[in-house]
Amino acid sequence: MIQLSKSYSLPDSVEDFIPIKIVSVGGAGLNALDRIVLDGLERAEVVAINTDVQSLASSVAAHKVQLGRNVTRGLGAGGDPELGYQAAVESSEEIREALANARMILICAGLGGGTGSGAAPLIAQLAREAGALVLGFVTLPFSFEGKRRNAQAREALDRLDQFANAVICFENDQMADIVPPKAGIHQAFASADMLISQSVRSIVNVIQRPGLIRIGFDDLLAALRRRNGRCLFGFGESDSDNRAHDALTQALKNPLMDRGRMLSDAARILVHIAGGPGMTLSEVEVLMQELGRHVNEQTQILFGTAVDGRMGNRLSVTIISSLAADGDIALDGVTSLPVAVPTPSIWEQQPQPQTSVDSVPESIPMPEPPRVPPIDFAPIEQEPPIKEPAPPATSLSKKAESSSVAAQGRSAPVKKTNPVEEKLPAKQEVLQFEPVTRGRFEKSEPTIVEGEDLDVPTYLRKNIKVK
Amino acid sequence: MASNNLMVGLEIGTSKICVVVGESRTDGTVKILGVGQAPSRGVRKGEIVDFETAMKCVHEAVVDAEQKSDVMIRSVYVAVAGSHLQSFNNRGCVMLPEDRDEIDEQDVEDVKSNAREVSIPAQNAFLHSIIQHYHVDGQDGVLNPIGMSGQKLEADFHIIHGMRTRIQNSIRCVKELPLEVEDVVFSALASAQVVLTKNQKDLGALVIDMGGGTTDYVLYADGAIRQSGCLAIGGDHITNDISMGLRIPMARAEKLKIEEGSCILGNCLPGDMILLKDDSGFAGKEIERETLNTIIHLRLRETLELLKRRLDEESYLNYLGGGIFITGGCSLLNGLDYLAGEIFELPAQVVHAHTTSGLTSAVENPQFSTAIGLIKYAQAVQRDRRPRRFGRIFGKFFSGIR
Ligand SMILES: Nc1nc2c(ncn2[C@@H]2O[C@H](COP(=O)(O)OP(=O)(O)OP(=O)(O)O)[C@@H](O)[C@H]2O)c(=O)[nH]1
Ligand SMILES: Nc1ncnc2c1ncn2[C@@H]1O[C@H](COP(=O)(O)OP(=O)(O)OP(=O)(O)O)[C@@H](O)[C@H]1O
Ligand SMILES: [Mg+2]
Ligand SMILES: [Mg+2]
Repeated sequence: MIQLSKSYSLPDSVEDFIPIKIVSVGGAGLNALDRIVLDGLERAEVVAINTDVQSLASSVAAHKVQLGRNVTRGLGAGGDPELGYQAAVESSEEIREALANARMILICAGLGGGTGSGAAPLIAQLAREAGALVLGFVTLPFSFEGKRRNAQAREALDRLDQFANAVICFENDQMADIVPPKAGIHQAFASADMLISQSVRSIVNVIQRPGLIRIGFDDLLAALRRRNGRCLFGFGESDSDNRAHDALTQALKNPLMDRGRMLSDAARILVHIAGGPGMTLSEVEVLMQELGRHVNEQTQILFGTAVDGRMGNRLSVTIISSLAADGDIALDGVTSLPVAVPTPSIWEQQPQPQTSVDSVPESIPMPEPPRVPPIDFAPIEQEPPIKEPAPPATSLSKKAESSSVAAQGRSAPVKKTNPVEEKLPAKQEVLQFEPVTRGRFEKSEPTIVEGEDLDVPTYLRKNIKVK
Repeated sequence: MASNNLMVGLEIGTSKICVVVGESRTDGTVKILGVGQAPSRGVRKGEIVDFETAMKCVHEAVVDAEQKSDVMIRSVYVAVAGSHLQSFNNRGCVMLPEDRDEIDEQDVEDVKSNAREVSIPAQNAFLHSIIQHYHVDGQDGVLNPIGMSGQKLEADFHIIHGMRTRIQNSIRCVKELPLEVEDVVFSALASAQVVLTKNQKDLGALVIDMGGGTTDYVLYADGAIRQSGCLAIGGDHITNDISMGLRIPMARAEKLKIEEGSCILGNCLPGDMILLKDDSGFAGKEIERETLNTIIHLRLRETLELLKRRLDEESYLNYLGGGIFITGGCSLLNGLDYLAGEIFELPAQVVHAHTTSGLTSAVENPQFSTAIGLIKYAQAVQRDRRPRRFGRIFGKFFSGIR
């Protein structure tokens, strides 16, 4: 057993985590959840909810809730949202229990079918009632799935929007951009799952990674809150020599970003940069300058960074924002373009079984990004400006750091921010560098026993010189 | 070939994947038909961290085993390890109805399920519930209570459980190949089946399986399992320590550890140097032997002391008449038996599977103990098992396994 003793002073001890639950609803939701868990999720609990017991049985989630034992009797909702809704009503007590004790709840579902569309809005409502901050992560059906499914999905999205604090919406049609046209429907779904997984995990990280400059709930909400709006989301990661640039380019390539073009209309964007101990201030600067060229002068940038030993040589950037509802005009334009929409015959073919090895592509070919012009080093003018580098942590007492991070975590309010706080630039915290790299154990859970990180060489911890 | 006496063990280890194909014989022995292997990638500390990569490696090892044994593999017994595994002992109890005093099979079933009525964390699943002893009306040490007369039947179980999702990771990896999973077995429990004799279990013995990513252990006293667990520390830690301490790449550190390493201090003359040749054959860096051994010694001493502190939480260490049996790849490190003997103050030895018949030399390597142990485990289970129930993988009771 991993023992996290109370005396362990690195800030990633359990007490500093904010209780987050990831709740998946319906068949699509459960598939996405499997992806999330298999991709590696830390510091969040997962809950699988469905009417269909077969799909529940094969889910990797630890916590499962079957909806509508009487209404649907273990079968799916057969594409009928009304039935999905009734099943959720029947099981609302169990849902409440599953949602209890979370500060933040992320709800994942594929809209268009019965269960996800019918139950997700009710679950969002129950989650709000339980006092949590609620974010939806949903997909909209392919156009070729037919008018009915699309209408059902739009209606469910409207309802979900009423209850959730924000909804991040992935349009399956846009997967056509990142999946080769010849690929089957499974690959398109797998890419959607991957995008959902990426965004869910990076939001969890944004909140849970102890930051030099920590992003709080209020910042996240400020960036996302747009009733009926459209969320922009991008995530990129790189360990190349030019990793700051490469990670940003990748983030802007995300289908929800529209290659960064959308950013110019955003009023507020949230940027979170994470890297290993080797991350330098100049890299962060380069990245922010480059990003600055994609945004408007008036745009407010909420900025956070974190050093996480597990990142190794990688540097990641997460961009989150939203557009006001009138951005929908542009959106409608996009979907009506003659994009390479797979024909229904592909739908019939169902090329690979869900579990086959190649149904989850490891990397998805993406279109070439627009060439980025050479960087000019004009001072960045958006607020907040990046502050002077803080002194490295090695000179500071760890105890003090960890308690300041903990206090920060607890004080992040779920309620609406007060106006004074909102004016404040992003919070700055002391730099937190781990003393040594984790080398071979980069990807694994640290071996912490009796309060010591045993991945660190014994001779180092015992202070024995081996020259 | 009659398939019901064919058994396949799979260990998805941190350093290597090992697949052993065995055949159960009527006289109770096992014939090893083939051993397949592949280097392991995507596994850390006994657990899969990179699903796709690990799956490819498992596939490779399975194909290798199929070629070597000329058997088509359909289903496997899978070993699991990982720091999330936990264990405890629990007693179940049933009272017989007033009008009956002969204990029957149903009573034994009932007491087993009663012992399982303990709460483990919601995200955990039972992996094993292993019978230690029965008690009839307070009389201790009953091995088979059926047919005995009494009013009160109690049973002590050793229960091993772990995080469901993490156990399922191994299962999924195998199922996606696709292969059937017959059972999942805690790796040290599997190893113990081949490195210990029944007599040693009765005398009391501690089995330590030190692999690349984890150190797994089971302790037997009086013929029954009393303690078990898994520390997420293994040979990788030693190699990483060497790599950092001597500032050499991991691959070189690994080679140096295997070829030159020892955990005994004070055996080298001052100035005893090891010359590291670089790849082109030119003389490279010089390293003092004592420095290398110190790095190794500190890590292994710490690990064994930690294990001893864990085991000391209960008193069984005082009842190990048989001593300590070390297996797994790390047991090949020079002097480890000596160090363990010194720390535990008990006789310690390095052991590997005792060959039954078949591929003798291939089998005599402590790195294979777990995978071969799975075959022994499977044999015991299949002898014990009634017609197979549907796909219940977790939380089985087998009286045949001790
Ligand atoms: N990302 C992703 N989307 C999917 C997947 N399967 C289906 N979808 C999409 O999700 C929508 C809803 O389908 P499901 O989740 O299967 O439906 P459900 O909510 O379980 O509802 P019922 O089956 O009617 O009970 C579909 O219209 C598809 O657009 C999947 O595996 N991944
Ligand atoms: N001759 C040797 N001397 C020292 N160490 C050795 C030797 N041979 C192998 N090892 C070490 O043994 C370890 C591998 O052991 P083993 O094959 O039992 O591990 P595994 O089963 O793959 O991993 P685990 O069970 O921990 O997941 C490696 O760390 C390797 O360096
Ligand atoms: Mg369904
Ligand atoms: Mg092993």
